[in-house]
Amino acid sequence: MRLPAFAVYLFCLLSLITADVFAQSTYTISGYVRGTGNEDALIGATVSVPELRTGAVTDGRGFYTLQLPEGSYTLQATYIGYEATTRSIEVSGQNLTVNFALLPANSQLGEVVIEANSLQQKLNASQMSVETLTTREAKLLPALFGEVDLIKVLQLKPGVQSGGEGASGLYVRGGGPDQNLVLLDDAVVYNASHLFGFFSVFNPDAVESVELYKGGFPAQFGGRLSSVLDVKMREGNKERIGVTGGLGLIASRLTVDGPIVKDKSSFILSGRRTYVDVFTRQINRLQEGKEDFNPIPDYYFYDLNGKANYKLGEKDELFISGYYGRDFFGFNDADFEFGFDWGNKVGSLRWQHKFNPRFRVNTTLSGSSYQYNVSNKIDVFSFNLTSDIRDLALKTDFSLILDKGHTLQFGAMATKHDFTIGRLNFDSDDDRQSFSAGNDYEATEAAAYVADDFQVNSQFSLNYGVRLSAFNSGGKTYSALEPRASARYSLSERTSLKASYASMMQYIHLVANSGASLPTDIWYPSNDYVKPQRSQQVAAGISHLFGGGRYMITNELYYKWMHRQIDFRDGANLFVNDNLEDEFLFGKGESYGNEVYLEKIKGRTTGWVGYTLSWSYRQFDDINGGRRFPTRHDRRHDVSVVVLHELSKRIHLTGAFVYGTGNAYSLPVARFAFQDVQGKGATVVPVYSDRNSFRLAAFHRLDLGLVLKLNPKRGEADLTFSAYNAYNRRNPYFVYFEQVKDEDDNETLGFRAKQVSLFPVIPSVTYNFKF
Amino acid sequence: MKTRPTIYTLLLPLLLLLASCDMEQEVEVKLPPHESQLVVECYLEPGKTLRAVVLESVSYFNDPELPLVPDAEVFITHKGRTIKLPFSPVQNKQTGKYYTHRISEKLDLQPGDVVTLEVKDKKGRHVTGTTTILGQVPIEAVEWKFNEKNKAYLLTSYQDDPDAVNFYRYMVHRDSLSNSSQRDFISSDQLTNGQRVSYGSGYDYEQGDTLVVSLFHIEQQYYDFLGSISDARNANGNPFAQPSRIVSSVKGGIGIFTNLSYNRKTVVIEK
Repeated sequence: MRLPAFAVYLFCLLSLITADVFAQSTYTISGYVRGTGNEDALIGATVSVPELRTGAVTDGRGFYTLQLPEGSYTLQATYIGYEATTRSIEVSGQNLTVNFALLPANSQLGEVVIEANSLQQKLNASQMSVETLTTREAKLLPALFGEVDLIKVLQLKPGVQSGGEGASGLYVRGGGPDQNLVLLDDAVVYNASHLFGFFSVFNPDAVESVELYKGGFPAQFGGRLSSVLDVKMREGNKERIGVTGGLGLIASRLTVDGPIVKDKSSFILSGRRTYVDVFTRQINRLQEGKEDFNPIPDYYFYDLNGKANYKLGEKDELFISGYYGRDFFGFNDADFEFGFDWGNKVGSLRWQHKFNPRFRVNTTLSGSSYQYNVSNKIDVFSFNLTSDIRDLALKTDFSLILDKGHTLQFGAMATKHDFTIGRLNFDSDDDRQSFSAGNDYEATEAAAYVADDFQVNSQFSLNYGVRLSAFNSGGKTYSALEPRASARYSLSERTSLKASYASMMQYIHLVANSGASLPTDIWYPSNDYVKPQRSQQVAAGISHLFGGGRYMITNELYYKWMHRQIDFRDGANLFVNDNLEDEFLFGKGESYGNEVYLEKIKGRTTGWVGYTLSWSYRQFDDINGGRRFPTRHDRRHDVSVVVLHELSKRIHLTGAFVYGTGNAYSLPVARFAFQDVQGKGATVVPVYSDRNSFRLAAFHRLDLGLVLKLNPKRGEADLTFSAYNAYNRRNPYFVYFEQVKDEDDNETLGFRAKQVSLFPVIPSVTYNFKF
Repeated sequence: MKTRPTIYTLLLPLLLLLASCDMEQEVEVKLPPHESQLVVECYLEPGKTLRAVVLESVSYFNDPELPLVPDAEVFITHKGRTIKLPFSPVQNKQTGKYYTHRISEKLDLQPGDVVTLEVKDKKGRHVTGTTTILGQVPIEAVEWKFNEKNKAYLLTSYQDDPDAVNFYRYMVHRDSLSNSSQRDFISSDQLTNGQRVSYGSGYDYEQGDTLVVSLFHIEQQYYDFLGSISDARNANGNPFAQPSRIVSSVKGGIGIFTNLSYNRKTVVIEK
């Protein structure tokens, strides 16, 4: 049993450093950095002390801490897009709380920020392999149908790939879309997609920022192998009511925020909905009764976000967040009613308590569920298929600042999972036919972790820790130690070397063999037969600042081993199957690559260039004859160039170019004629050979955007113009083989390959407003 | 290409906007050399002569010719007696059905009998298969019901045997078996073991329609083979599907050797 060993480790680590807590030779300066006007926590803002050439970066809640010896200092808080603010402080015999409220740098929508993190701070952090993105950044970039999507902007970062054109899935460093831990204000989101993966569930008006960890995972995160996507929702304006919204080509959105009790609590409510169905219903009505007209099915999605916070006192604050989203696809006529709906419900309640400026705790109770439901009714027969996963989780995270450069983070979490897998009911009103299928499972997942962020000296810092995770379902218990470590060594003020190691476990698995994110994908617990997945990743990198600190180039190498990977048998029935376990196959995977990232965050022209060289493979005894095969998203070369240029105070121009090696793809190599018992002429059956042995043509695309700030009488507004796929490249979505037939006698003349593309050039315009 | 329209339908709201754009284009795909395999189709049917089709698989872009294998030899063994089916290609002009190997002999097949197949050619290719004769499952009722638009749906009922694992193929032909089937699917009794099962349909039929309803009691190897044929076809043209290997009932090649045990009823739809 590994638990006692972990307990001993935890005890030793705590014992070593506890004595330091009370022997202060320096004092803690801490506080929040927020923006005035909207009171948003500014994540990644820098608070520096020029006299000591030191500083700190605010965390995901806008909170910073500094250790300073006695003396007089200047504290300077900076955040791009906001005016820098300076405060003089006197450190003498006690800890201090210093909060900052920064003024926006201009009076427009304030969306001129390129990158929240200061490059210098990024260089100095021991954390590596993390991408941070703010809504401000995402909103400037051109978007498909003008719908701003933070996930799609993350796909422009090195090491991150999309599932296909327009898709919002994330494939991080060779991992699958099921291996991403997606968190919305600390609650898990199980299916982060709308419209079959074309849009993510994150409404940009409700989201403050997103952090994506690709490797070097901090010990507080666990449960997935390949990445952690940590999404933070905005907090409402504490001073006045504000309204933000936008009218787009396919959807509109509206957000209201404001104080509940001035300076004490605030709220934000945000919603959006697509409205293509409004037009399709009109078309159906006008065409009703016409011969050869097939009614257009109904489709729409909507989502609602809400968040409120309440300051209980100087030391305590409560936050409550919620998300509810639903997609609906339906088709009805006199004899036939088909409905298909799916969505997430996510909520969290977080209590933040500060014991003192050096010791904080966040305790979060969260719930999450994802469900899909397919129903069909034809006359007396009715069919209903549903699957869902429901979570109830409690976690607590402590942060303790010690002397001698140690910051300790430790905590624990427990989650109760409930699964309904393929619950089918088939009935007839006359009781002629009735059968059902499906299984319910329960599982408990728990973890405890401890990590020490140790600033050894000005050159060397180390973050090391361990996570103990455990999972129980159906009487079977698994547990594992997941060691984590990352280190930074500064060769000079402008150059850092970094390295990391992370071991990750995944106890629940996505049952999907589509290679894309579909609403019918369901989650399945580890049990006697299905063992947990495990990965180990090592990464090493070098970062260099140049051009007066305006540019930073980073190169990272990584190698990831994945054990007990999951795939499914050919022809597996994943929808209605009481013996789903029989369809699982187990294998291994590996991925490796090199990522180069050049970024510029200051000046009128900003942006980044990313290049990834990578390989990603899987190997299963029962697939591909047991031979290793590339994953569909094994992309040898991947390039992205993103440029944002401030032409004037009113006009911003943006462009994004992507190039990627074509996806690995399976095509038939041969065919045979199959007559069948009917014998009405033979039909062609394709014969597949090695899996993913073909390559689609290379993918490249240029998107252009223009943001024109308007001068309305009240508030602020802009028009955002986008041209997705500006040079109208026919990028491959998939390739298929077809028979070429004589139009007169229907005789087969030959066979040919056809490539299907999804999106031509798509211009769009979105009107955004705020007052 | 059944699935592509399905996907397009699901994405219709988006694709409506793109309707005017031609998003398909011909591309060149270079295929690796393909080593041909024997492809065998042989169905034993009580009261019918012995017939088989032996062809071979070809590279996908080869010319559309029927790849005959004249030197293939076909043997069927039943109760210790081996019968050779000579190469004698023929096509029935009325049904379009063709056979490459046949003999006018009939076997006295009883449920439980085991019959084996062997096919070999001069390239050294060797295919073997086995089938166990199944009994019929009777159709208990064929019923229909009209709606206000004078269209009827069809309901076919049978009783599943609770003591056996059963697989079925259900087919409906309009007017004659020579026409393509209107409805064709396979099912297992995984969810309906021992129940009286009813297969329904859409409101597809009108007064006066003559329908031939067939319920095949099939082997699992035939069920798996038909499922894999369907999956392989669907994978060609479905970006979400994984490629599917053909699950043959024969060893050493591709194909199916099974027996056809079916119950058939012909009905005329009347109000």
